[in-house]
This record gives sequence, C-alpha cells and structure tokens, in this order.
Amino acid sequence: MKTLTDKKIVIETRDIAKVYQDSKIAVQALKDVDLEISEGEFTAIVGPSGSGKTTLLNIIGGLDNPSSGTIKVAGRDISKLKDSERIDFRLHNIGFVFQQYNLIPVLTARENVEFIMLLQKIPVHEMKARSLHLLEEVGLKDKANIRPSELSGGQQQRVAVIRALASRPKFILADEPTANLDSASAANLLDMMARMNLEEGMTFIFSTHDQRVIDKARRVVTLEDGIIKSDEIRS
Amino acid sequence: MKMLATIAWRNVWRSRGRSLVVIGSIVVGIWALIFMLGFMNGFMISYINGAIRHEISHIQIHKVDFKKDHNIGIVIPGGMVLAESLVSDPRIQAVSSRSVTNGMVSSPRKSSGVRIYGIIPERERSVTHHDSLIVEGSYFITDLKNPIVIGKELANTLKVKLNSKVVLTFQDRENNLVAGAFRVAGMLETTAPQINKATAYITIEDLTRIAGLKEGVHEIALLLENPESETVVLPDLRSAHPDLLIESWREIAPELELFLSMTDSFLWVLIGIIMIALIFGIINTMLMAVLERYRELGMLMAIGMNKWRIYMMIVIETIFLSLVGGPVGIFLGLLTMYWLGMQGIDLSAYSEGLREFGYSSILYPYIENSAYVYVAVGVIITALLGALYPAYKAVQLNPIEALHTV
Repeated sequence: MKTLTDKKIVIETRDIAKVYQDSKIAVQALKDVDLEISEGEFTAIVGPSGSGKTTLLNIIGGLDNPSSGTIKVAGRDISKLKDSERIDFRLHNIGFVFQQYNLIPVLTARENVEFIMLLQKIPVHEMKARSLHLLEEVGLKDKANIRPSELSGGQQQRVAVIRALASRPKFILADEPTANLDSASAANLLDMMARMNLEEGMTFIFSTHDQRVIDKARRVVTLEDGIIKSDEIRS
Repeated sequence: MKMLATIAWRNVWRSRGRSLVVIGSIVVGIWALIFMLGFMNGFMISYINGAIRHEISHIQIHKVDFKKDHNIGIVIPGGMVLAESLVSDPRIQAVSSRSVTNGMVSSPRKSSGVRIYGIIPERERSVTHHDSLIVEGSYFITDLKNPIVIGKELANTLKVKLNSKVVLTFQDRENNLVAGAFRVAGMLETTAPQINKATAYITIEDLTRIAGLKEGVHEIALLLENPESETVVLPDLRSAHPDLLIESWREIAPELELFLSMTDSFLWVLIGIIMIALIFGIINTMLMAVLERYRELGMLMAIGMNKWRIYMMIVIETIFLSLVGGPVGIFLGLLTMYWLGMQGIDLSAYSEGLREFGYSSILYPYIENSAYVYVAVGVIITALLGALYPAYKAVQLNPIEALHTV
C-alpha cells in the first residue's frame, strides 16, 4: 500500500466492499478496497462512471457505510458511529465540495462561507474575519453580500470550496468539483485548491474523471469496477 | 438559532406566491374564527341578557314551596319591608316586589290561561325594562281604572285593542274564584314567548285587593349592579334569610346554563374544525417546501447540520408563516368586532323566527379580550402541529439519496 509521504496516515480503508442490494439484483460498487491516505495529500480518485469513485468518497466522508471492511478516518472507525455522532464528526472534520455547488440559495456568499463555522459555534468576530479573508483570497470580496443565484458557476464553486475549508477541517472531499465549469474557471479553482492545500495543510481528495484535476493531483488512485487498478504517486 | 431563524425567514419568501396563499388562508381562517366566536358569543349574550333583563333578573326570592303550585297564600313574610331594605344595598341596582298567581284572562271573544303579575310599575320597569318594550299604549301611565299590560300576541289572541275590557279570573287566598275587570293600557313585545303569549301585568294593589291579601309579595326580583357579584350577593342573602328560597338566574332557568355550555361546546368544535383545516393547509405547503428542497436538506445534513437543527429550521419556518398571517387575521377580526359591536348585525329579516326563540333582531357580536390571546396561542399551536410531519419527513431523508435528487 502506498502513501505520498511519510506523514501520518489519516485515512485507512481495509477490505472495503459495498454492495447495493436492489429488490432483484445486487450491484457490487466496491471490492476489497485497501487505501491509506496521509495528512496533506492532494489525491484524485479517478475512473470511469460506475467505477465506485463517489461510493468510496461517500464512505470516507461518513455519508455511507461499507457493506464489509473497516474505515478509519482521523483514527476513528466511522462506520461504527451513530447517525448523530457521524453528523458531528463530519461537521468538525470534513469539508465537502459538490459537483452542483449546493450553496444555500437564501444566504449570501459570505453567509454561506460562515455557515459551517456558525454550526461549530466559532466566535462571530473570528468567523467574519475568516470569511472575508477567504473571499478576498478567491477574489470574491466584492460579491460577499450577493446570493448564489447572482454568481457565475465558477464563482459559486469557489464559494463552495471556501465554505468547505473555512472551518479548517482535516479533510476536503470534492466530488467532481470541476464537472460543471469551463476551462478557465476550472483552472482557477484548481490553482486555488492547490494553494489552500499548501497553505492550510488540509488533505484533499477528489473523485473525478476530469483530466485537468488529474494533472494537478500529486497522487492518482484509479478505480475500475470497484477495484483499485492503480495507485500512482507523482513527484 | 439566529442563523436558523434567518434561513427560515428567507425560505418563507422563497416561494412568495405559495407562502402568500398559506398566509392568506391563515388570515381568513383566523378572521372567520374570531367572527364566529363573536357572532355566537353575541347570540348567546343577547339571549341570556334578554332573559335576565326582561324576564328573570339576576336573583329571585320566594317563600319556600311557593314555586311548587304558585299557591297565592304562600307569601314572603314582610316582603315589602325586605324589598325596601334591599334597595339600599349598593350592590343591587333595582328591586321589584311582585304578587304572582295563575289565572284566566277573558275578552268578549276569547279566553286564555295567563300568569298574572301584580307589580309596582316604577319598581318593575327598573328591573325588567318592560316600559321600553311597549309597542302600543303605555306602561301604566294612564288614567284608566284597573289598567292591565299584556303581550301583543296575547292581545291578538284575545282580539282586544287598547282600552278594551278584559276580565281576570283567579283564586283568592280561600281558594274561591274571584274576578276583576281591567282595561288594556299597554301591549308589549319581548323576546320571551311566554311573556308575549301568556302573561298579564296589573298593579300589586289591584291584585292583593281582589285576592284579599294583606301582605301580597310572592316574589322579589333583583337586578345586580355587576352580574359578577352574584357569587357574593347570593350567599350573603341566603345566610341573612335562611327561611327563604333565594335563587340565581342559573337556578331559575337551568336551560340558560345548558344553552351556555352547549354554545361553548359548539364553539370548541368550530375552533377545532378551523384549526384542523389550517393544520392541513400548513402541512401541505410545508411538505411541498421540504420535498422541493430535498437536495438542499441533504447537503445541509452532509456538511454537518444535525437533525435537530433541520427539524427546528422547518418548525421555525412554519411558525414564521403563521406569525405573519396570525396578527393580520387577529387585527382584521378585532376591527370587524369593533365595527359590528357598534353597528350590530341586522337580522330583522329573520326577526319573526328569532323572536320565537327569544333572540333580539339586532345582534351585537362580542368577544372578550382574552379570546384574542387564546386565538394567538391557538395559531402557534396550529403552526407547531402543522410543522411536525414535514419536519419529520425532512430529518428522515438520506443525505446521499437527497444529494442525487435532481
């Protein structure tokens, strides 16, 4: 099993399998997936549609449970957590970036960025300072009081990314973050995430089949039919 | 909580049209509720006040056993003196001493059974206000010898007019039949059918003279300054006169008490029906809102918003919907009550039927201030009940499935 560096392993899957049982047929989404991810990695999980990328990301993010095997994230077996504990774990450890941005439409860009910090009960002055700093970082300070519907796709995704990392989670899980973006926006977003990864030291994991993301990743794990086919570490 | 409230408030206005429809239905529902409460209350008050003011008064005093057969010999000992002493009680607004017996009234063309009241007109008018209900003639302001005031309906039955002669026949204290001739001085029309059809008023002097009574007070009727003081005045009178039968209007006319409780029950049923309709309207709207935002709710759960917060967000949103509609509905209801309380609702088109049941033809809706508070609390409870199921549906969602909802 490979890791990017000799840094501390923060995600560890052992013989993970996931079977989706329909009323008539069973679909094996993941088979015996063993994966270790170290702190601060910038990893892309790639593969064709239906290869199990999103399923693996959901399991790592505590949104789904494996059918068998163990999953440890930040040293905790999250498959054994109760529903409420898992929500709390996600709140304090994981930042999500979704393909569809999924911003809260009735909140402004700044309020969206502050939302998770608010749930974490971070002091207001600290929260406001952090959100404004991040909005400035991504060039959206002047859009702070604008609602998502008035932002472009690229701008919305930038807000979604800084919302995910505003509370300084240990992990950022991004599911196809560039799928709906044009080339310029995607490049811009990837540069920003790479910079954040270096500056903030968070672990980034992407599920993607976008070559632009793959080119940027420092580790590429390829899934096919639910099995890890290759695990490439780049210098 | 502030952020939840912010999101909830903004969500209310997200589907402006839909929210306005629900708010509108809350406004109309609450207005209708207040109007119905006021209307029914006004109906009830009109009926009971009519009965108290024109018929039974607040308290009546009799000698024990008199009411069994209205025996003319069972008089209140020292009735006149007792009545005079009650006049000086500041809690009592008016006192009327009456002589009462049953008999027959006859005209040249017809006869009819009547209850005959011998009254002191000046005293009686301050208790029953019958002078204000005179439709023909006057209330004992006449030069006629032996004047009698009867109901207009009774006059029609007897086919008599003003100044016509009628004869009253009844038993004296020795149980002998006695009779006296009277001239019709006035005709009245009340909301009480038995007064209109079967009651005759003469002066107490005439009645006691014909019946051969020395002391002729069978009944003392009291009108209180403040109806609420009945609970104090009644025990005081009872302890001061243990040998007399002293009854409140509730005991004299238990059907009024029954009517009160029936109306109360009916109102609760009405409130229940309106509230249930509102609850279903709210459930429908909020359920639509939840299903529409399935993906968003899934995202909130995914990023770490716990189920309690999501539940509360839906509940707060529902309360906001009601808090916008509720005060508007209450305010409109208040205005309507204020206006109708002064103008009254003219039900004269139905006055014949209403009079048969003892109602006045002008109805003044009335609602106590506390009822507005109950309505406001009811709105909040309705909102909370209406929020339960949509909020439950929201927290039951699976974030992964929700996130894949288009």
